Order: sequence, then structure tokens, then C-alpha cells
Amino acid sequence: MASDWNDIPDEEFRSTFREWVDQNCPAQLRYMRKQRPLFNEVAEWYHALAAKGWLAPTWPRQYGGMGLSAAKHMIYVEEWGRLGCPRIPDHGIGLVGPLLIQHGTEEQKAHYLPRILSGEHVWCQGYSEPNAGSDLASLTTSAVLDGDEFVVNGQKIWTTLAHCANWIFVLVRTERDAKVRQKGITVLLLDLTSPGVRVRPIENLRGEADFCEVFFDQVRVPMKNLVGKVNEGWTVAKSVLGHERIFLGAPTRPEYAIARLQRLADARGAFEDPAFVSRFARLRLDLYDLGSAFERYAKVLRAGGELGADVSALKVFTTELYQRITEEMLAVAGEEARFADDLAAGDVEIDAMNLFLDSRSPAIFGGSNEIQRNILAKAVLQLPG
Amino acid sequence: MPELMLDDPDGTLVMLRDSVAGFAERFPGAKAMREKRGLGGATDPLIWSAMAEAGWIGLLLPEECGGAGLGLREQAVLSEALGRALVSEPIGSASVFAATLIGGATPGAERSRLAAGIVSGDVVAVPAWISGAKPLVVHAVSDNLALSGEARFVDAARVATDFLVVAQDAQGGMLLSVPADLDGMTMSERAGIDGGAIATVSFSDCKVPTDRVLSRANSSEDLLRQAILHTRLALAAELSGLASKALELTIAYTSDRVQFGKPIASFQAIQHRLVDMWIEADLAAAAVGNAVEALQSDDSEAAQLAVLAAKARAGDAAFSICRRAVHLHGAMGYTDECDVGLYLKRAINLNAMLGQPEQLRLEFVERESGVGRGRTYG
Repeated sequence: MASDWNDIPDEEFRSTFREWVDQNCPAQLRYMRKQRPLFNEVAEWYHALAAKGWLAPTWPRQYGGMGLSAAKHMIYVEEWGRLGCPRIPDHGIGLVGPLLIQHGTEEQKAHYLPRILSGEHVWCQGYSEPNAGSDLASLTTSAVLDGDEFVVNGQKIWTTLAHCANWIFVLVRTERDAKVRQKGITVLLLDLTSPGVRVRPIENLRGEADFCEVFFDQVRVPMKNLVGKVNEGWTVAKSVLGHERIFLGAPTRPEYAIARLQRLADARGAFEDPAFVSRFARLRLDLYDLGSAFERYAKVLRAGGELGADVSALKVFTTELYQRITEEMLAVAGEEARFADDLAAGDVEIDAMNLFLDSRSPAIFGGSNEIQRNILAKAVLQLPG
Repeated sequence: MPELMLDDPDGTLVMLRDSVAGFAERFPGAKAMREKRGLGGATDPLIWSAMAEAGWIGLLLPEECGGAGLGLREQAVLSEALGRALVSEPIGSASVFAATLIGGATPGAERSRLAAGIVSGDVVAVPAWISGAKPLVVHAVSDNLALSGEARFVDAARVATDFLVVAQDAQGGMLLSVPADLDGMTMSERAGIDGGAIATVSFSDCKVPTDRVLSRANSSEDLLRQAILHTRLALAAELSGLASKALELTIAYTSDRVQFGKPIASFQAIQHRLVDMWIEADLAAAAVGNAVEALQSDDSEAAQLAVLAAKARAGDAAFSICRRAVHLHGAMGYTDECDVGLYLKRAINLNAMLGQPEQLRLEFVERESGVGRGRTYG
């Protein structure tokens, strides 16, 4: 194994990674219809990556990661997508790992990191609450210190994959009367098998349950499960996502959707209709230009730079383009858009309705597009408050 | 504000931007535009020669015929900066288009004369290649050529010293430079939306010496395609600069304008509109940057696509950003004394030049995958 992946030329890294993934990612898991498969559905792939040492691309090598730079990480993600590999439950790898590496104690790192890699701990992220979504700082799930334990009460919602997780890292309010609401929030690591925890899956528009409600009733969490300091969890939580924010704006989904649209349109003779061609051309060019814009931000990362708040623009544009493409699919489907299931297009099935429904969510999650616009207005355009 | 991001190892691009900024202080774009309009659309020779002095006219001419030996990267940055500064001289047609035709012409005395004159500012060579109702045709008459037909959409015709005409002979297209004071030539001008005059130039059996032929069939068509490609890139850059500056003005205005006790830019309805404008300006800058990079690769088909995308994107962005900019300036935006309307009018002109976005997009998808019935320009 290489001493440092970052010393290998990009193309060599790409082909090495690609070749191994292509040989080792099980065929039946490629191009899964589910965006967020459960842990046991993809466990084989998870463990194969772990055994190879390639499960945690950005963790430092001392913790069992690959220690990839942002540039190499982009290649990793690109090839993963290109080969149709399924998304694994990655809150442990993508969020808890970096959180603990930055803010955890040595004891926490030694305990939790190996258990993420082994798959023993499957994590989920407890941020949103029924009354704290875009306005996350208004969260009210409380933690009160009782001896050397916190007692947690309240509710989280939109907790992705909580029903296949056994741990949750959760934002709780530890001071009710803080002058600045962002103060008084604390990050806890919470064992979902503790007494008083109840998880209820929520079915989404596509008929799948990939997010849940999580209820906490007098749940006791030992003091040693505190990450960082009490009342300073907001800063801790915000510091986790760095260059990964670029992936929220990756053109992957619209790229996939427009290929499907093209197949469907071909089969339906839509390209004979100049009005459709005109609409298609606009979508195609939007995707092409999104690629140019993505490349501009990727270039910054490759040059060792850091992303600014302006990267939010990619998230807004890519998620809204994804929606417009899938809306066009339903228009091309004509009367057949009444069906719930897939549409035949020659020798392939096109999941137009599935993609249309799926495209509703990315504009909402990861900070709704309205919140992204607020961020751009303040941080980039510096408009008055 | 969004801007072209290109590697600039020796600082040439920064220098170009600085020199445009300095120029704009001497010749403020909005003022020049209003004055030009007052003069019936004539390009101010003072401004044009100052631009030649700065080395901007014919920037794309190869070094062997007296050019600066600079390339499309520099042209794109220059055009973007001129767009920002609202410098409304016809740099696309009378510099980029002309220099590409002349640079690619058959070497000879006429090519050298034109190139040297363009660089010094003594020659204003204006492309006149889009046939009107009467097609541009040429045939040999004893020792001369006879040129007939009419050319439409000719910029800066009144100050032109030479027209670069592409006329058909029996073999195909012929590129020739035609003296602007030729017998049998007439000109009619119409006011352009941004204050410049746009002419139709008619030739009726005009005698042109054969030594004015710059290229003959086959190569003329290639040259024309090359000139369209380069000019579309330059126009895209100029439009991208216009878009970015119009947005900047609008942010400044709405941050300053107080209603209901607050700057109107503090209202979310306004903020989200401004953000959407910014996203479009950012995409336009990215598309132009992508086209510059593609033109420097060996893949000419990829370059064609990238330029089509860039001109379409920047044109759409500039036109729609300027429309919204007018709106966000309120009643002020509807007045002639507010500069933002001039940005809108300039954007309309450049967006319509060498292909509107819809047409360019159709050409893109037709080229890329053969779909649709996209028409090509010219």
C-alpha cells in the first residue's frame, strides 16, 4: 500500500481506486434504486471497503483512514458515482469521525473510531426537531446534568437512517436562558439502545422510509459522551463540514436524470417536437454550464484552497435543475404520467415518477434552498440584515 | 462579484484589467454612450485611437504581422473588463472578428497593410459579411473584381476605412478588403439600441483591385467560422462583465435605498432576487472560463460546444440580470439618466449579435447529439 495516497498522481490514483472498486463492489448493489439503503442491505460492501482500508477517505491514516486531500477525495467520490456504487450509511464516516478527530478526547477517538470502521456502531445525526428545522438554533431537546449523567428529554425528526443505527450524535439544549440562542447547545453521543429511546420511521413520498422520528424520554447519557464543552456544541457542530460541501452541488443527479429523460424522449418521439427540443436544449445547457461551475470550485480545492460560502450557489442550481429535468420527464410521459410505476422505453424501464419524487428532497435537505439563498445574501453579496 | 478565473502566471491579465479601469476613468462608458447617441451613433475617433494605443485593437493579430501575439485568454479578460466598464465601442466586430479574418488571411501586402493599420489605429476594418436582400457576389472584370450586393448589420460603418467583405464567386466565398470610399457604394444607417449606428452597406458593381483579395474559396469559409467562434467568445466575456457590473450597481442601489425605515436590500424578497442574479452571473463567468480553456485544448469540437454554451449563458444572464436590475432600481431604473438602463440596452445588442441564446442552444444539442433542427448562423 502506498505510504501516502496524495503523493500518487491523480490519474494513477483514479485507475487504482476504480479498478479495485469495480472488482469488489457487488454487482447486485450497483445502481440501486434506493438513495439511502439500510446498513444490512449494503453491509457486504461496507465491510469490503473497511478490510481494504478504504472506508474512510478523509480520516487521517493514524485513525485508519486514507488521509486523502480534497482533490483526491473528489476523485474517490466521482469514481464511486461513476461505477454506480450504493451510498452506505455514512454518518459515522462523514460526520462523527471528523467531529471526534477535531473535538473528541483521546479516549473517545480510541473507543468510537474503530467501531465505526468495523460497522459495530452505525450512526445517525440528531439535529432537526419538529420546531427547529431551518431555525436549528431554536432546538429544545434538553439535557440536564444529574450526577455524572445527562438526562435527555425531547424529540428529533428527519433523522436519516435512525432505524438502522445504534448510535446518534445529538444536539441538545443545556442552557435554556442563553442570551444568544446558539450558546447553550451541546453535542452528545447517545446509545440508541438506551432505555427511553423510541424510533419511528417515516415513509416518504416515494414510499420508502429513510428518515425517522426519535423520541427521548428520561434517557441517561454518561458525562464522558460529551463532545467538546458544555454549551459550545453549536461551534463544534458547524465545524464538521469543510470541502465536503461541494458534493451537495455535484451534478451527479441531474446528469443521471437527463440521460433517463433522453431515453424516454427518444422512445416517445419527443425529439420530433421543436418545442420539446427547445426545452431539452435549455436543460442540457444548464447541466453543461453546471459542470463548468462545479469545475471552477473543484479547481480551488485542487489548488489547496478552501471553499467560501459561494459554493452554496452550486447546491441551489443543481437541486433545482434536477427538479426541472424530472418535471420534463413527466411532461414527456403524457397520459402515462398517471402511473405510479416505471415506464417502458424500448428495452429499458425509465423510473420517471421515482426520479420526480426523489428530486423534491434535495432542495429541502442540507439547508433548504431558501436558507442557502439567505447565506449567499449575507456572506457573499453582503446585503444589509 | 463573479469574474473570469484564469491562471495568470506573469500578471498579464491583472495588467489588462488595470489598464481598462484606468481607461474607463478617462472615458467613462456611460458618458461616451450618451454622447455617441447624440452624434447619431458615430464612434468617437479619439476613443478608438486611445484603445488602439492601449494595444487592445487587433490584440489577436499574430506577432509576425505586427500584433501583440496575445491570445483568446487575454481577449476574454479584456472584453470582460470592457463590458464591466460599459465601453461600447465595437470591439467584437472591428477588433476580434476583423483580426481573426486578417490574421488568417493569405500573407501579402494587403494583409500587412491592414494589420499594421489596425494596430496603429489608422485603419478601421469593419466586417461586412452578412448578406441582405441582395446577396454579396463578386466576379472578375478584366484586371479588377466587381462587387455587388448588400451587407447588413455593419458596425462603425461611418468611421470605417475598409470593409472586410465575404462575397460569393463561382468557386465559393472570397474574402476581400474594400475601401470605404469606393464609387458605387451607398450606406444607410439605423440607430442601434445602445446608441451605436448599424449600417446596411450596398455595393453596385463596385470595382475592387484584385490585390485586395485576402483569401479565396474554402479557406474563406473556414476563416469566417473561426472569426464567428472567436467573436462569440469575446461577446460572451463582454456580456459576462456587463452582467456582473449591473448586479453590482443594483446591490449598491438597493443597499442604499431606504423604505419602511430599512434598506430595501434587507428584505428577503429582494435578497433572493439578487442572489438568483448572482448565481446566473457566476454561471456565466464559469461558462466563459470553460470556453477559454476549451479553445486552448486540441479538441476543436469541444471548443465549439463550449463557446456556444458560453455565449448562450452569458447572453441570457446579462439580458435577464439587466432587466431585473432596471426593475430593482424602481422608477429611477426607468429613467434615461440612470446608468442601469444603458447596461440593459448594451446587453440587448450584444446578446442579439451572432446568435441569440435559443439559437445557440439548438446548435449545441444538434452538434452534440444530432437532435433537433438547429439552424446555424450565416
